[in-house]
Parts: sequence; structure tokens; C-alpha cells
Amino acid sequence: MVKLSGITKSEVLVGLLVAVSVGIGVVALVLFDTTGGKGSGLDKDFIYDIGDKVKIDPNLIFYTESSVPIVTGFKKSHAIAIDANGTIYAAGDKAVRLFESSGNSLGEIQLDSNPRCITVSKDGNIYIGMKNHVLVYDANKKHLASWPHLNSDAVLTSIAVLKNDIFVADAGNRIVLRYDTNGKLLSRIGGKDNDRNIPGFVIPSPYFDLAIADDGLLRVVNPGRHRIEAYTFDGDLEFWWGIYSPNIEGFCGCCNPVNFVILEDGSFVTAEKGLVRVKVYDIDGNFTAVVAGPEQLVKSHEAEICQIPANCQAGGFDLAVDNKQQILILDTIKNVIRTFAKTR
Amino acid sequence: MLRFGHISICIFISIVLCGVVFGAERFPPPDFDESGHELPSTDYITNITPRHTIYNYLDVAVLVAALSLSSWFVLKKRSRRSVFILMVFSLVYFGFWRKGCICPIGAIQNFSLSIFDHNYALSVTAILFLILPLIFTLFFGRTFCAGVCPLGAIQDLVVLRPIKVPSWLESSLRLFAYIYLAAAILFAATGSAFIICRYDLFISFFRLSGHLNMLILGCCFLVIGMFVARPYCRFICPYGVILRQLSRLSKWKVTITPDDCIKCKLCEDSCPFGAITKPTVEWPQIGYTKSRKLLALLILLLPVLIFLGGFGGSSLNRSWSRMHATVRLAERIYLENQGLLSETTDASSAFRATGEPIEDLYDQASVIRKQFKFGGWLLGSFIGLVAGLKLIIPSIRRQRTDFQADSASCLACGRCFKYCPKEQVRLKSLSEKQEIADDDKI
Repeated sequence: MVKLSGITKSEVLVGLLVAVSVGIGVVALVLFDTTGGKGSGLDKDFIYDIGDKVKIDPNLIFYTESSVPIVTGFKKSHAIAIDANGTIYAAGDKAVRLFESSGNSLGEIQLDSNPRCITVSKDGNIYIGMKNHVLVYDANKKHLASWPHLNSDAVLTSIAVLKNDIFVADAGNRIVLRYDTNGKLLSRIGGKDNDRNIPGFVIPSPYFDLAIADDGLLRVVNPGRHRIEAYTFDGDLEFWWGIYSPNIEGFCGCCNPVNFVILEDGSFVTAEKGLVRVKVYDIDGNFTAVVAGPEQLVKSHEAEICQIPANCQAGGFDLAVDNKQQILILDTIKNVIRTFAKTR
Repeated sequence: MLRFGHISICIFISIVLCGVVFGAERFPPPDFDESGHELPSTDYITNITPRHTIYNYLDVAVLVAALSLSSWFVLKKRSRRSVFILMVFSLVYFGFWRKGCICPIGAIQNFSLSIFDHNYALSVTAILFLILPLIFTLFFGRTFCAGVCPLGAIQDLVVLRPIKVPSWLESSLRLFAYIYLAAAILFAATGSAFIICRYDLFISFFRLSGHLNMLILGCCFLVIGMFVARPYCRFICPYGVILRQLSRLSKWKVTITPDDCIKCKLCEDSCPFGAITKPTVEWPQIGYTKSRKLLALLILLLPVLIFLGGFGGSSLNRSWSRMHATVRLAERIYLENQGLLSETTDASSAFRATGEPIEDLYDQASVIRKQFKFGGWLLGSFIGLVAGLKLIIPSIRRQRTDFQADSASCLACGRCFKYCPKEQVRLKSLSEKQEIADDDKI
């Protein structure tokens, strides 16, 4: 052992190590915030403050509310659809209620349990997604069929129809199911498949929407990945768009967008929860406009929304678009249907 | 080198496991209306759910069993290996399984608070956890430290290459433990804080969670503990202060040799805690006279130190009283009202929202400050007394003829046993007796 004035090198190293540890320990102790007065110590990126995101630049808002909201009368509403004649279908407490665009009631369909999603085909048939099965009614509200129940994990959240194909989004099993009009299951779409380069759906919350675009591709929200994916009817993933960002051009939170609808020109209207926003993206997924933001949708002229996580659960608004390309928003907090028309 | 690697890996894994402290909440969180899943409470780190009563009694039973086994292993079986196995068990059970709470060290605070605050109910478990190790120490020495205390165990596992700490430094550093004990009692008695728990160095390891600073401090202690064995036990532990004094009175003490000491000196450097005292030599007459004068001077100095300590402790009452939330709030409100602070805090806003008179708050704070002023006298005087005695005791001549385990400092780990040739003879004799017994059976 090499000696330095009677002290070995290893002893010097040990001394240094102990001294450094004592130094670091003292610093850690001195900087220890015993009372919590210094806060979390995280930088501003981690501060739970969405105040500046609530206020939206008025120049970006292209829509205004065009009529008096339609009161659905539900205590808890879930979904909205509109048919070719302009009849509005709202699904809520164990019922589907029909309204004219003026708000006049056209009756209702009573159900045994709460419906989760709804769509109307061009021939007028009404497809209602319950928790784990689909009910079919004709235009006269006559029950036609009840499709087989899926497993207990199933949570149906969206349904779309094109000719003989019916697509159902199952958030519980994280899969899209393709049926024929007789309720026969044809295939499953979107399950994780490395061979087909499909990453699978990430669905932390029971929001999982889909729609069929005019280009013949199925559009499905992958909320956990904050994007909308395009699939062929055979289940091939073609492309996607959408970015994570709390800024206006992106989708934020655990899982957004929660719902979307496709306009006549191929644009997408998306609805987000938490930071409640309804926005428009062009056919390529570029942000173009805002329909309404938190100030319009949640509390007029008050930016105070969702201050604690428990309050963030509300705001999973559903969307529909009528013949005039007006956007109908089912406000699931106040349980009303609000109509927004483009003004610019 | 291999052990060093293992220790490094353990520390690294512990830090990685504690990495959840960096987690950030994402907005908005997912909801689980349909699945029925409930989001876990975010305050699970600080709020430990009470355990079922039966488990509390089980803990006490395990504590009694562990103390009994430790005493038997140290005093009767004289087996370091058995003590080590028990120590690992205690680390797992009392540390990682029970998350280090309640421990005898922290129970000092519960006991103190229960004396001064009649509204505070002290649980039977807390009393037993405080008292049982003390009772065992009175009979068997510090066998609690040897194989039962999880804080001692985690440090003992990392002892790599212990260095000898000079006795003067050892004695000086130990003063921290007395200060810590006195401060812990003062803060607990005034209802200000349980500082032993707040500054628990190893709780982050046991709970795999906690404050980053405490995690760093714990890691530093483990690194230091590789070379300065069990630094927390020797220099910081407030419970150790009590155990030290009780173990001086213990009925059965740990002995290095099972027989008479032959002064072979083989055990001289075997204790990583510097707890082995050597036989004394005759003092030269000149030195003896000089020491007597020094002793007389130090005895005269003792009341001065006590007074200075008390005065200093009392003078710091303003600083110490800020550990109490009421005093902090009163000072904050005062500064805000004087316009010296422009922003409010959550606490000050909440207080104002109650509509309670500010004068009442000031009165409460004033009472607490008076408590700290009086408590500061006691604390400071105690520290002055200890410091004075630390100066006096080395000047008192004590006769020792053998190499002995210092009953106060000895942590009863049993490392020194194997160094004693008499112990080797005993073990060989035991082995031979066993062989004869086996032969007889055959």
C-alpha cells in the first residue's frame, strides 16, 4: 500500500468519500423543506395550472351558438346522432329521445338500461349501443333486433354504419368490431398486431369514438395516443394524425379527443374532455378553427373549470353535424344540445 | 470488492424504486365510470392506513420474540451468525413489511406528547414498543440494537471497511444524539412536530417512497456507514441515548470472552464501533495531581455550562417555535397585515376565511412561544449538563484490568466473540461434547 505521510491512499479515498457524503448530506438536510412552504420544487411545466389554456384567442373561434339549446331532460346523457331528415336522437337515462331541430319532442324509445352510443343509417334504422350489445330499431321506433351480448368487459362507446357494414367501438376490450346488418360479427379491427404494424388502442377512459369518412376508410380515435387513425374495412392501418399538446393545435390529458364527427368537406370536428374544447381540423389533420372553448361550453366568462382532478371527469361531450353543417354538441354536464353555426 | 459491488447495486435499485417521487400528475386523469375502478388516493404517501388491531398485537409479539432471541443469541449462544440472521429478519419485518412505523425511537415523541397533551391518546402498541426494549436493555444490554432495530440493521448490512474513530471525536459527535433527543421531546411536547419521524433517514427505503432530500441523506449515511459503522446509531439515535444509560445498569452484560480475559489483545481492533475498552495503566503521580486540578475546574465549570446552555436554548425560542404551525401562521398573518408580504399563502387565506379574530391567533402563538422559552431553558440546560459531563468523565480515573465491551457503547453485535481464544476453546469443547454425545447415542 502506498503511503503518504503515514496515511495510505485508500485511507485518503475513504476520507474523501466520507467528507463528500457528509457535505451532500448536510446540503440535503439544509434544503429539506420541513413545512412544505417551498412548494413541490418542480418547474412551472409541472404546475397544475390550466388557466392560460382556458382562454382561447377569439380570432380562432369561427362558430357561434345559433339557436336555443335543446333540453334533453336526461339526468345523465351519453350520445347524440342526427339522421338525414334532421331528426336529433339523444341517448341518456334508459331511453333514446327524438327531437326536431327546433327542439320539439318527437317521442322516445324506452330501454332496459342506459344506452352508450347511437347512430342512424340512411334507411332510417336506429342502432343503439348498450354496454355490451347492440339494439336495432326501425324509423318507427319498432324493435327489430337485439344482437348477441359481448363479454362482461365490453363497453360500447361508438357505432357507425355504412350500407351493410356496422362498426362498433368497444372501449372495454379496446377493439373495433365489424358486423353485418344481421348482427353477425365479421371481424375485429385495431387489436395490437406487430405483423401488421398496428400498435393497438390505448383507452384509459370509456371514450372511444369512430366514424366512416367519404374516402371509404374508417376513422377511429386512439385517445391514449392522442390521435385519429384511419383503417380499411379489412383492418389495415393506413395513417393517422394528431399530436399531444395542451396548446390549441393538439390534444392533451390522458386521453383525447373523446369524440369526433366528420363534416361534408372531410374536415374533422373533435371534442375534448378535461379542458373542454371543440375544434375543427382539415382533412389532413391540420388545426383550422375552434367551435367553442371552455369559456363558451362550461361556464360563460368564467375560466374556472376542473380545478381538482375529480372535476375533470365531466365534459365528454358528443358531437353530430346536420345538413346545414351546423355542429350539434351534446353537453353531458348540463344535458342539453347546443347548436353552433359557422360565421366566418 | 464483491460486497462493495453488491452494496452499490442495492443502493442503486433502492434509488430507482424510489423514483416515483418524480412522478407528475397528468391533466386530465382518466376516469373509470364503467369499470368501477377507483383512483387511488393521492395522499397515500403521507397517510398510512391504520392496521388491523390484531396485527398490532402480532407486532408486539414479534418484538418480544425478537428481543428474547437476540438476548439469547448474544448472551447465551454467543453466535454472531444467529444475530445476523435475526437482524435481517427484523429489517424485513419491522422495516420493509411494517414500513418502519411505529418504532421505539419514534415512540419517544408519542410518549412525550401524551404527557403534555391530555387530549392525545397513546396507543398500547406505542407504549409497548417504547418500553419493551428498555426493559430488555435493563436485563441484557443493547440486544435491541443488535438484532431487532431495522435502522441499525440496514446500516449494519453495509459495514464494509470500518475505520476507527478517535475517542474524543466519537464522544463529541455523540452530543448530537443528546441534542436530538432533547429537541425531539421539546417539539413533541409542544405539539409542534415529530422530528424523529420527519427526519427519518431510512423510511424512504422501507416505504420505497418519500422526500428526495431524505432519500439522499439516507444514501449519504449508508455510504458513510461503509466506513464509519452504524453512524446513526452511534451519533444520532435519540433512543440510543436512553439505551446507553440503561445498559450501564444491565444485569447481564455482553462479554468478549466467555471466561477470564488473558489480555491477548486479539480482540482489540475487532469492534467496528470502538466499544472495546482496554485495561487501564497506572497514572503517574504528576499527571494524577494535574488531572485532579482539571477535574475540579471542570466541576466548577459545569453550572456555568448548564446556565449558558439554558440561556442559549431559551434565546432561540423564536426560531424553534416556528416549527409549530400556529406560530408560523401568526407570523405570516402579521407580516401580511403589516404590508411586508404582498402575497397570501393557502394557510393564511384559509385562516382569514374562517373569520376568527387575529388577536386569538396571536395569543395562541404567544402561549406557544412561552412554552418554547421555558422548554428552551430545559433543553439548553440539559445539553450544557451533557457537554459538561462529557468533559468531566474522561478526567475521572477508572480501573480496568481486562479488555471489556463498554456496556454503554456496545451494540451487542457479537463480532468480537470469535477473536477471543477462550471462545474458540469453548466452541471446540462444545463440539467435542456434542461428538461424544452422538457417539454415546450410537
